Amino acid sequence: MKAVLRLVLGLLIAAAVWQGAVLAFGIRPHILPRLEMIWGAVLQAPHAYWQGFLRTLIETLIGFAMGAFIGVLNGVVFFRLPALRDMLLPIFVVSQTIPVIAFGALVVLWFGNTLMAKAIIAFYLTFFPVTVNTLLGLNSVDPRQVDLLRSFGAKGPQILFRLQLPMALPQIFVALRLAASLSLVGAIVGEWFGDTTGLGVMLLQAMYNENVVALWAAIFCCAILGTGFYALVAWVERRLVFWGAEQ
Amino acid sequence: MAELADTPLLEMSRVSKTFGPVQALNGLEFSVNAGEFVTVVGPSGCGKSTLFNIVAGLEEPDDGGILRFKGQSCHAAELLGRVSFMPQRDLLLPWRNVVDNAILANEIEGANRKEARAKALAMLPEFGLAGFEKQYPHQLSGGMRQRVALMRTFMFERELMLLDEPFGALDALTRTMMQRWLLDVWQRHRRTILFITHDVDEALFLGDRVLVMSARPGRVKMNCPVPLPRPRHADLVTAPEFIALKRQVLDAIEEEAMKSFTLSTGAH
Repeated sequence: MKAVLRLVLGLLIAAAVWQGAVLAFGIRPHILPRLEMIWGAVLQAPHAYWQGFLRTLIETLIGFAMGAFIGVLNGVVFFRLPALRDMLLPIFVVSQTIPVIAFGALVVLWFGNTLMAKAIIAFYLTFFPVTVNTLLGLNSVDPRQVDLLRSFGAKGPQILFRLQLPMALPQIFVALRLAASLSLVGAIVGEWFGDTTGLGVMLLQAMYNENVVALWAAIFCCAILGTGFYALVAWVERRLVFWGAEQ
Repeated sequence: MAELADTPLLEMSRVSKTFGPVQALNGLEFSVNAGEFVTVVGPSGCGKSTLFNIVAGLEEPDDGGILRFKGQSCHAAELLGRVSFMPQRDLLLPWRNVVDNAILANEIEGANRKEARAKALAMLPEFGLAGFEKQYPHQLSGGMRQRVALMRTFMFERELMLLDEPFGALDALTRTMMQRWLLDVWQRHRRTILFITHDVDEALFLGDRVLVMSARPGRVKMNCPVPLPRPRHADLVTAPEFIALKRQVLDAIEEEAMKSFTLSTGAH
C-alpha cells in the first residue's frame, strides 16, 4: 500500500514538474504541450483513441501469446532433442538479426494488411527470448533433483511436467516480461506498414501532421498499454512463482 | 533381526565402478537382510554415494559385478522405482506444500492423489509436522524440511530404504533428536534401511550392523555387528560396550583415512 502511495506521489511530482516547466519557461505547445491539452485531445475523440488502443492491444496480446507458446515449446523441444537444437538454434539467431523493419515489410507482403500480420511481427520479436530462456531454465535444473524423480520411477514426460518446467518458470518469466514490452513494439511497428486503426497509426498520423499534442496523446496511450500489460505479466509471475528464486 | 529371511533382500558381490581414470568402487561385497538397519561409514570420497546411486538404480556398475534383489540377479536400472531413496539434500519442490511434497513419489507411481493426501495427513503428527500441511518448504526450518523429505521416503513404500546422510546438514542437537525419532519410526514401520553417514556415533547408535568402507577404491573393509539392545536410548553412547565398538570402528576408519591422506599428499 505504501509503495502504491509513493508511486502515485512520484507520478504527481513528474506531472507537476512538466506542467511547471511549460508554464515557467513559456515552452511553446509544439515543443512540449501542457498536460491538459493532451488530455483535451483524447477527450475530443475518445472513441478513436479507444478503438486504436483496443486494436493495438489485441495485436499485442495475440503476438505475445503466440510468442510465449511457441517459445516455450521450442525450448522444450530443443532441450529434449539437442541435435535439433544444434540444427535450428543458429538459424533462429540469424533470424533475429534481420531488422524488424525489413521483416515487417516481408510479413505485410505475405499476409497483407491484416491484424494477423501485426501479430506475427509482435510474435517475431517475442518468441526468441522465450525460447532461449526456457532452454536455459530447463538446463539449470539440479541433476540430483532429476535423479530423485528417476529413483521414484519417473519417466521423461513426468520429470518434465512435475519438475523441469516448474523449475524453469522463474527463468521463463524473465523472458515473458521482456516479451510483454517487445510485443507492443512489434504491434506498433507492424501498423506503420499501413493500417487505418491502432496506436501506431495514430503516432504516424500525428507525426505527418506535425500535431504534437496528438503525438503525445498517442504516446501516453502506448505507455498505459505497455505498463499495464507488463504489470499484468509481473502479477501473474508473482502468483505462479511465489516461492521466489530460492534453490 | 527376529526372523531372517532365507535370502538377503539385497546382495552385491564383486561390484566395481570406474569413472574414466577414477575407480570409485572395487570388489564391493555385502548383503542386507529384510528388516535390517545397516549403516555405512567411511572416509570422505570412499564411494559411498556411488554405492547408493547403484542401489537406487541411477548408476550401472561395471561389468562383472553381481547385483541381487530378493534373490534375483538384476541390472541396477531395474531397481528404479523399487527402492525408496533419500538423497543428502531434502530436494523438496518449492511450489508444493508439505503434503504435496510428501506424496510426490506416490503421484509418480500413479496413486490416487486424494487417498495419498489423506494418508500423508494422517502421518504428519508422527513426523512432527502436524499443522504444517499447508506450509511451503521456504517457510520451514532445516530439520522440518528434512522430516518432510523422510516422510516422502516413508510414503513411497518399498522394501528397501536408502538414506544418504539425511541428518548431515543439521546441527548436533537436532541431529540426535532426529536419530532417536528415526529409530522410533523405524521400530513401528519395520522397513529395511541402508543408511550412509560419516558420523561413527550415528552409525552405531542406529544400526544393527555397521559397514566400514575402505579408502577409494571403495570396498567393505569391516562388517561390524552392533549387538546392543533395542529400544536404544540417548545414554547408550556413553555405555562401555558402545565405546568399545566405537573404538574398533574408529580404528578401521583411521587406518583408511591415513591411507587416502598419505596417498593424496604423497602423490605430488
